[in-house]
Amino acid sequence: MSDNSIEKNMDNFIGLSAVLTGFSTEIIAPGLDVVDIKSEYLPFFTKTVTEESGDANLVNNILQEFASLKNSGLSDQQIGEAMLSLSNGDQFVLACRKLIFMWYSGAWPTIIPATEDKPASTVSNLISAKSYTAGLAWQVMQSHPMGDSNYRYGYWATPPPHSVPTQVKEHNDEKSSEL
Amino acid sequence: MKNHQNYDVVIVGSGISGSIVAYQLGLQGKKVLILEAGQAVPVDRSGYMETFFKANAKTPESPYPPTTQNPSASTPDNPLGLPDPANENVPRHTVLQVGAWRKPKQAYFTYPPQEEGLNGDSPKANFAFASSYERIGGGTTWHWLGTSLRLFPNDFELKTLYNQGVDWPGGKNFYQALVPYYEKATNEIGVAGDKDALDTLYEQFGVSQTGEYGPEYDYPMPGITESLVDQAFSASVMPLKVDGIPLYVTPTPQGRNSLPGERRQCAGNTNCIPICPIQAKYDATVTLARAQQTGNVDVLYRHVACNIRVDENTADIIGIDFLTYDTHTGIQTGSGTATGKIYVLAAHAIETPKLLLMSNKNKKCSDGVANSSGQVGRNLMDHVMYLSWALAKEPVYAFRGPLSTAGIESLRDGEFRKDRSAYRIEIGNEGWQWAANDPFTTLADFVFGQDNSQLNGNAVNQQNQPLRWDPKLPANSQLFGQQLVAALNGIYTRQIRLGFLIEQLPDPENRVELSKTEKDHLGLPRPLVTYRIPEDYVRNAFVSAKEVSTKIYNAMGATEYTKAPPAPVFYDTPDKVTATNFQYQGNNFTFYGAGHIVGTYRMGTRSDNSVLNSRQQSWDHRNLYMVGSGVFPTVATGNPTLTIAALAFQAADNILLDLAGITF
Repeated sequence: MSDNSIEKNMDNFIGLSAVLTGFSTEIIAPGLDVVDIKSEYLPFFTKTVTEESGDANLVNNILQEFASLKNSGLSDQQIGEAMLSLSNGDQFVLACRKLIFMWYSGAWPTIIPATEDKPASTVSNLISAKSYTAGLAWQVMQSHPMGDSNYRYGYWATPPPHSVPTQVKEHNDEKSSEL
Repeated sequence: MKNHQNYDVVIVGSGISGSIVAYQLGLQGKKVLILEAGQAVPVDRSGYMETFFKANAKTPESPYPPTTQNPSASTPDNPLGLPDPANENVPRHTVLQVGAWRKPKQAYFTYPPQEEGLNGDSPKANFAFASSYERIGGGTTWHWLGTSLRLFPNDFELKTLYNQGVDWPGGKNFYQALVPYYEKATNEIGVAGDKDALDTLYEQFGVSQTGEYGPEYDYPMPGITESLVDQAFSASVMPLKVDGIPLYVTPTPQGRNSLPGERRQCAGNTNCIPICPIQAKYDATVTLARAQQTGNVDVLYRHVACNIRVDENTADIIGIDFLTYDTHTGIQTGSGTATGKIYVLAAHAIETPKLLLMSNKNKKCSDGVANSSGQVGRNLMDHVMYLSWALAKEPVYAFRGPLSTAGIESLRDGEFRKDRSAYRIEIGNEGWQWAANDPFTTLADFVFGQDNSQLNGNAVNQQNQPLRWDPKLPANSQLFGQQLVAALNGIYTRQIRLGFLIEQLPDPENRVELSKTEKDHLGLPRPLVTYRIPEDYVRNAFVSAKEVSTKIYNAMGATEYTKAPPAPVFYDTPDKVTATNFQYQGNNFTFYGAGHIVGTYRMGTRSDNSVLNSRQQSWDHRNLYMVGSGVFPTVATGNPTLTIAALAFQAADNILLDLAGITF
């Protein structure tokens, strides 16, 4: 794979991740990306989805499908619906859903099917120490990873000053990281 | 063979009680040796943090060695990859082992078989023990919550006042004698407390006419700011009464810094358990360091006490034998004996009785050391916890601040105590993390269309209210994008939970013995634990807790999501049997552990029914003391650590008196 196509792969991966998670590309992969969790996730996602599905082309198909939907000028909502449409096949949709779970939790999920006495459930394996703190679940609850607060004493006595940071705000002083 | 001699005092265990005793003795110029079974206090906590971050199950023990889980060792029979305790030199009971309680290759504790033919509500049912402890330098305060409440005087006279359990020796006089030590403990821990609120509470329950330790007293640090969750409860519970007693919310006195000090100011990591990443929360490594700074205290890590030697003529203790190791699963590297004038066991309420019972080779002590009463290992107790959870009407922004900053203390005493156990109610700031493993359960539900949170299906609660988060969405919705963000944000920010710490009664049949079959890697027997909740008196409190939860959530306009557990299964394969489920008055209950392991070497007024006298000194061996929560005659109604610390200060004074007048 050429450098150019690797970069394209990453762009599509980030674009797809943004559409499915509801967080903008600038949030999940900012220009200056100190955490750089994307560089952990793309190879992990590729390897794991390929292993689980037994389909060496699946990840490429997913990213190509996203690229062509993006080029056709659809809205994020329409792209997401199209990506998760059952007509893409079970493996394709499941991989996309697991991608959402990974970004939110930093962990890779395994679905335990329902049995006679227990409904379906999910267990998961953390990908790394970094992925735990990078989970979007902490952002969506307007808090911090448990065990990794950047806030100051007493912040818990007042509501968070900002809504969920799914988009980069225009003014720096509105960034929720500056509580 | 290594021998360590010429110490005034030898202490087993470097947790809060061992460290306080060592510090107080070291200050007075006494030479002290601490034998600690576990690893040394690390130079910083980054290694523990790394282990914590990587742990799939972030249980109280997850950051600490030896490792509690190993995903790469996962098998169908052992999905979490629990290590085999037979391969470990210092295994301990962990919360992950509760579900695996019938699997000796995964669980350190062993349990007697269930009697045949028991019904789900049988008082004879055996359960898994639900609370855990650490075996490392600094002990279990690494993962304590920080709650620093005093017990009430009436807690010390449960038998006299309510004809239940036992009194502490001397009853309220014991309490009075403890007051100055409570003050020392409060200062050592550096408790942050709201004086006005605590004066109100403590005056109501007869702690003192002037609130705390006198009218001039104030806490080392101002009270920890209450959370939005606390404020929501506070505003709603005021008009409520239970058994005629009005409810109100009291900010909890806590062992964490509300101001910068020797340690950092709390930054609200919402992670006091398993580990405070910045040591804003007090732990016993603070006192252990102070002890070492006296220049009189030596600590030997990876020294596992395995036998107590007794002089057969005088009955005095003459040495403590130990085994050493280097790595957790490596070979034994040595052995030796430590000797001093006085010996103190401070190895918490499981390992201390285990050590006493293992020491059965001495003439005249074939049932173990200090055990002429037969009470060693008996009366094992915990606060058995009832957990309930709900969604508030409006966002209260859970998952922010310390794990708990307030509670309802007003139901810790009252006339009802004749008929049912008392409890305190802890208000959680961690959403449904404990209750339902959130944020992950709700996340999986809305990503994969499952319904384990009850937010994404057709479930109704016990008041028949529908529980689906958004009635406009179909059951088992699979969301993405902005819709997923909106649903998760709406849910997580409204999550609340209550924990009821129910007072268990002392029962001699609840006990720690030695397993005859299972050993650790050093060849020492593992605990055999019998644990039941036989009394209607205790079970009545579960019924009360369930009703009171619902009453509180209704008053708040919150929707209750407490999930009734499945019916208990006593007879099936180890995978299928339940660990902590029971039935009572037609309800299915499950209990959780509070981490408050007490009672297994209790104090008393008579040598035939207690292990220690009120000085925390063995009835049988005058130069043997024991400290820690094992000395408690009852578990009482407050979290035990402040009382453990106060008792350790008191024991240190008793030991100093003995050393001054020593004649042996």
